[in-house]
Amino acid sequence: MPEASQLSRSRRPKWHYVAVGVGLIVVAVVLTVAWQILAAPNSAHAGVTPARVVVYFFGSLLFLLLIAGLVLIVMLLLREVRLNERQSNFVSAVTHELKTPVASLKLYLDTLEYRELPADRRSEFYRTMRQDIDRLNATINSVLNAAMYTDRPVAEPRPLDLARLVRRAVDLTRTRFQLPPDAIRCQSPERLMLAGDAQALETAVLNLLDNAVKYSKDQVQVEVEVWADEDGQAHVRVADHGVGMARTQLPFIFTRFYRIGAEVRRSRTGTGLGLFIVRSIVKGHHGTITADSPGPERGAAFTVSLPGLIPAADGEPAGEAAHV
Amino acid sequence: MSRILLVEDEEHLAAGIRFNLELDGYEVETIGDGLAALRRLAPETPEPTPPAPVDLVLLDVMLPGMDGFRIVERMRRAGNYAPVLMLTAKGRPEDLVEGLERGADDYLPKPFDLPVLLARVKGLIRRRDWTRGLGEGDAAASVRVGEAEIDFAGFELRRRGESFRLTLLEATLLRLLVQRRGEVVGKGEILEKVWNLNADTETRAVDNFVMRLRRYLEDDPARPRLLQTVRGVGYRLMQD
Repeated sequence: MPEASQLSRSRRPKWHYVAVGVGLIVVAVVLTVAWQILAAPNSAHAGVTPARVVVYFFGSLLFLLLIAGLVLIVMLLLREVRLNERQSNFVSAVTHELKTPVASLKLYLDTLEYRELPADRRSEFYRTMRQDIDRLNATINSVLNAAMYTDRPVAEPRPLDLARLVRRAVDLTRTRFQLPPDAIRCQSPERLMLAGDAQALETAVLNLLDNAVKYSKDQVQVEVEVWADEDGQAHVRVADHGVGMARTQLPFIFTRFYRIGAEVRRSRTGTGLGLFIVRSIVKGHHGTITADSPGPERGAAFTVSLPGLIPAADGEPAGEAAHV
Repeated sequence: MSRILLVEDEEHLAAGIRFNLELDGYEVETIGDGLAALRRLAPETPEPTPPAPVDLVLLDVMLPGMDGFRIVERMRRAGNYAPVLMLTAKGRPEDLVEGLERGADDYLPKPFDLPVLLARVKGLIRRRDWTRGLGEGDAAASVRVGEAEIDFAGFELRRRGESFRLTLLEATLLRLLVQRRGEVVGKGEILEKVWNLNADTETRAVDNFVMRLRRYLEDDPARPRLLQTVRGVGYRLMQD
């Protein structure tokens, strides 16, 4: 079927170029080795002249330069190809995330319009439609946040209570996913003052909680911890017992548009922007974020560390823990 | 009562579609996972009590486990020729063509209009019945074309001891050409009647299907005697 094969060819043509590049590197390495053997000054067939030594030396240098150049080009190409794939995955994911709730809204509107429905059925449909609108709104927000927080340091850091902010985010997440109180356990000091952008940090914490719930298995069990250390840094740790990930995937998860697995077999909602937004916000606060997972099916933990701690004024019980 | 298998992982859509199909009198079975759908449509080992055969499959493309394109391909290879209507957010013409090429019978981009969905479902089931010769009109269940014996009811074509399974689209196209034997049938008309597409859709699907039919019917598919191309107009199935 010519059309189907043409389509698949036009979709991922660049991997062929990477293969050509790798082939060229192999050829260059073989040539270099051959040069080492044939042109070596101590070769038995020829006398050792200074000119020969010079030729050998510069020849070897040029070969090494050639290999280094090729490796550099292939690495750049590989990066481009990966970005390209991620971008097309992103378009695919956003298309799905935007169109699915729209399709659902349209279907329920049509149903309400064309069918005679009893009142309880109607209110059930309204509830479904409201959830679709929330989902649509969440996708729009994540795309907007990604644009807003990319490569931008916080313009005006203001004092904020990180402990309260995290507790609020936990409450909000519980409500949003209709979770029992003990599904997300939160341990935080009463107060933890920090200079930063409250709205951005709340977005970051909400994204982490969202992920923790989304990638949980049947039972949601998330632990959140907030603490300050002696170096003047505040830390927020969100740990889940969900699907986790392989160690090889850890370096990529903060990359824009990155999602584990093939998009066409998507099993979780999302656009691949969540962790990228979190990292952008944390970077905007000059902080760091680390991820850890013991392996697939064994949960994951994310730790955000932020500088800019404001020491508690005398007499305030900063270190006392509060449980929510 | 016709039985419809709905393969859709988005709960809201699945519930809404199911609700409407049931109101229209169909029996609906829902599966939300690609691998489970494949097991249902193309079981690897025959089950002791085989489930009821489905009359129509509504298939999403993006599914956990296995995507819709591969499901339709695998079920066709396993010999399941139930009509498949693909539903997907990927609405570009290339996606549409890919779906049809892989063996789907119709394609509806999301978001869709409810009346359109219901009409397509009804249309596909009617078309299958028409192709089989079970529907209205004078359609015979079995026809001779050249040396080939076409059994529309069983979606089978036999020629010189060889037998070929026909997909719903192949059978419907053949049915249309048989019904209008001796006349030239335009490409636009074929797209409308067989594929349910606009007459001016840019696709080589018709040409590809005609080539496939020639492989079944002709001695030399490169120099067709029975199924001829009328350049710039369409195709004609010659009288014997």
